[in-house]
Amino acid sequence: MSATFAIDLTDASTFPSRRDEAWKYSDLKRYLREAPAPSGTATVGAPGPFYDLGGEAVVFANGRAVGVTDFIASGEQTLRLRYISDAVGTGHTASARVAARAGAKLLLLETHEGAGSAYVAHNTLELDVAAGAEVTRVVLVEEPEDAISVSEAHVKVEAGGVYRQTVIATGARLQRIETRISHFAQGAQVQADGLYLLNGSRHADLTSVVRHMEHDGATSQLIKGVARDTARGVFQGKIVVERGADGTDARMGHHALIASERAEIDAKPELIIYADDVQCAHGNTVGALDESALFYMQQRGVPAEEARALLTQAFLIEVIDRIEHEGAREVAREWLTARL
Amino acid sequence: MAAVKETIDTVAELERYKYGFTSDVEQEFAPRGLNADIVRFISEKKGEPEWMLEWRLAAYERWLAMEEPTWAAVHYEPVDYQDLFYYAAPKKKEGPKSLDEVDPEILDVYKKLGIPLKEQEVLAGVQGAPRVAVDAVFDSVSVVTTFKEELAKAGVIFMPISEALREYPELVRQYLGSVVPVSDNYFAALNSAVFSDGSFVYIPPGVRCPMELSTYFRINASQTGQFERTLIIADKGSYVSYLEGCTAPMRDENQLHAAVVEIVALDDAEVKYSTVQNWYPGDAEGKGGIYNFVTKRADCRGDRSKVSWTQVETGSAVTWKYPSCILKGDDSSGEFYSIAITNGHQQADTGTKMIHLGKNTKSRIIAKAVSAGKSDSTYRGLVSVHPKATGVRNFTQCDSLLIGKECGSHTIPYIEARNGSAQLEHEATTTRLSDDQLFYAQQRGLSQEEAVALLVNGFVRDVLQELPMEFAVEAQKLVAISLEGSVG
Repeated sequence: MSATFAIDLTDASTFPSRRDEAWKYSDLKRYLREAPAPSGTATVGAPGPFYDLGGEAVVFANGRAVGVTDFIASGEQTLRLRYISDAVGTGHTASARVAARAGAKLLLLETHEGAGSAYVAHNTLELDVAAGAEVTRVVLVEEPEDAISVSEAHVKVEAGGVYRQTVIATGARLQRIETRISHFAQGAQVQADGLYLLNGSRHADLTSVVRHMEHDGATSQLIKGVARDTARGVFQGKIVVERGADGTDARMGHHALIASERAEIDAKPELIIYADDVQCAHGNTVGALDESALFYMQQRGVPAEEARALLTQAFLIEVIDRIEHEGAREVAREWLTARL
Repeated sequence: MAAVKETIDTVAELERYKYGFTSDVEQEFAPRGLNADIVRFISEKKGEPEWMLEWRLAAYERWLAMEEPTWAAVHYEPVDYQDLFYYAAPKKKEGPKSLDEVDPEILDVYKKLGIPLKEQEVLAGVQGAPRVAVDAVFDSVSVVTTFKEELAKAGVIFMPISEALREYPELVRQYLGSVVPVSDNYFAALNSAVFSDGSFVYIPPGVRCPMELSTYFRINASQTGQFERTLIIADKGSYVSYLEGCTAPMRDENQLHAAVVEIVALDDAEVKYSTVQNWYPGDAEGKGGIYNFVTKRADCRGDRSKVSWTQVETGSAVTWKYPSCILKGDDSSGEFYSIAITNGHQQADTGTKMIHLGKNTKSRIIAKAVSAGKSDSTYRGLVSVHPKATGVRNFTQCDSLLIGKECGSHTIPYIEARNGSAQLEHEATTTRLSDDQLFYAQQRGLSQEEAVALLVNGFVRDVLQELPMEFAVEAQKLVAISLEGSVG
């Protein structure tokens, strides 16, 4: 049930379907019956949304590395990890490895920049956070509405390490952003936030598994989402507290707005707990915009559409506000506001 | 302070599984194993109409083609379906006319269980005490149903389903399998093929059932599966409160209990279904105990209908049970209140499904799980909102309490919302028994076990309050007994 699927884009038999519990709401097989032909080359055009924040860059264009694929941070560093897709009907795979050495402080700015149409992208990231290191990962995902993409991140956090992530997804035909985080040693701190803003018939799936393997770890997760038109938002969050991981403090919240008659939200927040000295909680709400707030704003002269947009923004922005790095937070805020 | 006194009294009565006795009742069995002939045998024994036999055989065919589900978070030795007895009945003359004709051994069993089968005894009780009509099911057959005449005066039909199949075949035929279809799941298909008894309830339009109805299930024979089938039909504007209790002897082997309960609520009807499940949970090493694989579902077919499930799950080695509501009628509502207590090596995977199909339908889920010893408890629930169901409201609260280092507690709620006007809320917490509170209670002179029972009773209070009076008392005692030996 919790097994990771080794998806291989060249082998259709590895594509999970809704019959696989972990892919219940994102039926990859339904959208992708056959292995796509491999993508050709793509050129790296625009500098990407995080360009102004500087730092090093690891870039993939249609799965091909432009330069290095691995990065090891020491001291205080910024890395822009860019997955660029520009293909029509073809598929590509990219894998990156990033590590933060003990005591390092890494700002990892990840962008999925898609152009073309109906491509299939599969990205994997392995990320090690060494003892006492601190990694902040901010992910912006923008892809054509008919693209299919599956992104996996496997994050290992050592003793006293801090890992924070914020994923901002705008959906695609099927867009799955999966994060698997292990509290590998004691006293790690994890923040695993995300938001999705979906228009048209887009589909975004934020799936996360946070595994507390050692004691005194803390996890905080806030996911918010809006589904408009006929879009479908999926959140699957699992927190596992293994035997012996006492002193764990884990909190998860998922809150979604259904902004149209025909949109859909599917949510599955799971707590799997094998230790007793823990504090774990999750909250999950799905609903419409507060009618009384809308009414109030209209009464004050704000047109209905504008009021709706403002309230939606206020609802989502809470996730952005939790990004600790100011520069990254402001880029994310602008990026999101432009898409509201 | 009354609650404290009660808890102390309860704890004083602490015993290991006290319903674990066996009784030596002369019984007749169908041959071991399952095939079409066994299905025919059961049907013939019950003197069923031809269509019923065909219905059973079709279910059997479907079952053969199905696979046992493995998705639940429970692990158990596979059941050898060919090694079970599918029918065991106390030997008796056909249809006892009165209690006097019932085997005294069986009456003795129910007496030991504290189940009132003699109407006059109940009547002679404390003035104003609520009366309960009981259908007592012993292994595969119903042995006695009390208060039938008085209920008949109100137009209420309350009888073993085997009898209803003979007396009201059209009514049964109309509703049987309409809520839980034959091919719904593996265990429901098995039950449809081989069920031998259970209760049938029909409440006519506008009637408020004059007393609580109750079925008491007892598995006695060894290596015997119990497959009961309950069908409750609440016609327009009627009300009924139904109680279900179950116990089984202590045996080394695992016994299978695969029941199906179907409830139909028509316009403005209300059904309250309460269960105190206390099947034998197995010994301290996890040997023996009942496999409780049950399908319970209510169909709120009528507008403004309401069904409320309340369950106290303390027994069984393995529980697989999701009492659900299909909220089809506009403005209908469903409730699910659950306490699941696991200790020793017990495993429980239980929860509910609220399927919102009608407009302005409401549901409320309160689930409390207490895990101790080496047990595992899972809440698994689904709230789904159909695209046409506007104005849906749901509130779900799941709280888990862990006692000890070797148990597990899991929460797996699913929300599927396909309508923009739905308002769904879910919250869950998992914590352990507070050391401070335990210390405080012990400081005040309670022993550790008394303190645990007191705190746990407080934790599950929201659900206990939903139980009918006489069950609430029993349930409170059970909470204490189930957790015996869980601390220290």
